[in-house]
Amino acid sequence: MNLSLYQDKDTWIHRLDPRTKITGIILIFAMCLCFNDPIYIAILTLGVLFILFFARSLKSLWTLRYILILLFLFSMIIWPFFVKGKTVWLCIKGFYIHKESILYAIAMGLRLSTFVMAGMILISTTKNEDITNGLIMMGLPYPIAFAISTALRLVPTFAGAGATIVQAQISRGLDLESKNIFKRFSKFIPFAVPIFIIAIRYTNLLSMALESRGFSPASPRTMYRRPYMKKNDWIVLISLLIVFVIILYIRIFLQAGIVIKDRL
Amino acid sequence: MVFAIKMWNNIRMIVLVAVVAAIYAATLIAFKTAIPLIPGITEVRVANIFPMTFGLLFGPAGAWGLAIGNLIGDIFGGTFGPASIAGFFGNFLLGFLPYTMWTTFIPFCENQYKWNKKSYKSWWAYISINLISSIACSIIIGVAVDILGIAPYEVISKIITLNNFIGGLIGIILLISVYDVTTKQLGLFWIDVLNVDVKKISKTSMVGSWLVTVGSIIGIVGSFIVDVSILNIKWLSVIFIVIGSILL
Repeated sequence: MNLSLYQDKDTWIHRLDPRTKITGIILIFAMCLCFNDPIYIAILTLGVLFILFFARSLKSLWTLRYILILLFLFSMIIWPFFVKGKTVWLCIKGFYIHKESILYAIAMGLRLSTFVMAGMILISTTKNEDITNGLIMMGLPYPIAFAISTALRLVPTFAGAGATIVQAQISRGLDLESKNIFKRFSKFIPFAVPIFIIAIRYTNLLSMALESRGFSPASPRTMYRRPYMKKNDWIVLISLLIVFVIILYIRIFLQAGIVIKDRL
Repeated sequence: MVFAIKMWNNIRMIVLVAVVAAIYAATLIAFKTAIPLIPGITEVRVANIFPMTFGLLFGPAGAWGLAIGNLIGDIFGGTFGPASIAGFFGNFLLGFLPYTMWTTFIPFCENQYKWNKKSYKSWWAYISINLISSIACSIIIGVAVDILGIAPYEVISKIITLNNFIGGLIGIILLISVYDVTTKQLGLFWIDVLNVDVKKISKTSMVGSWLVTVGSIIGIVGSFIVDVSILNIKWLSVIFIVIGSILL
């Protein structure tokens, strides 16, 4: 069972060091947080879309189209109720709709979508093992990285086992189609127990296998595929840093890109 | 908190982290789009029947496993973003509070690390700790998500609390079903794996338990009061929960 959103392509973004991509994505997240004016965030959204285009990963984004549309609509509906502006646009039965609230709602919808798209750049261009290697080289302790990479490896196995158990229980007459929230939760129990037992038995087997091979969490490690920073990585990182500094200048010194002052 | 750090030297606990994370992530992914409550942010989380059981049985490995599992769920589900960091800490608490408060949340707790389905104390401890951990998790995630502009605190905190609490209540059936197998047959109860010998409950842990409880109550009650500055209330509750968790 393949659950990964990774797109196996040979683009310059795929070839970047995982550390560059992780740092780059953090910088893009930070850039999105600098503005709450929809025009400014829209420019960032376009930039992220361009990167996805160059990474030939728009296919992955397409699989999330409904989530993105719903995220945007949700923001548009909910934020005007909680964030008030100064300029009244409409008054419906005592409820005031402010211009700034609507603009803020659009900006938050765009920001949310940009977050998802930026995360997609990392996920669709970097293999799971490269992400963990990158995290180790960025200082993540090895035992934590080992747990993450083992979990990433086990997710499809357990998801496959889960699908088999679901089929077995359905063939015994279990009805999983109920829309009632409580029933849905409780109907999960008949296959949560077998999944749990299968997985937990695996723990003892894997622990014994590791112990028999002399695995020690604290020992220093070597890597089969050690990522290293190339010229392109430094160009990307420095470019993103320059953009981030410009954005901070616009936000702090020019006081631009804000529709609601007391919110990020 | 000390066991949450010490456990990284134990191979069996590290493997348990991976296994717990994988089960949680696999279930989260399977039900990600089943019944969305706020699309892309939260859904009816059927996987929430696991946290209390994982926390009580596997202790710190359960807490780390839930945190990592939620992160992996976001990665595979395509919703990875800054909110995933808040999700990491929120889900960590969801597994961390059950085992740390189990013997320290006086008078609503057990006097030793064990689940006894015939004891009213165990049931009382389970239900009260399930409520507190559900609220604490929702406050940590709610505050971060509100700051990031993803969803208002007043909405998201209630949804997550309800989601976690209902899941936890139904999770009792899971705990009853797997408790004996895990502790006696497979020998994977966290105090046995880590050789924990608890003779005396420290006062600091009791204070920690109650700080988390007070912070959680302030945070959730504050989200219902319209005319009070929610900004101060939610930050106060976050401070209480964080300090309380460190003391635990």
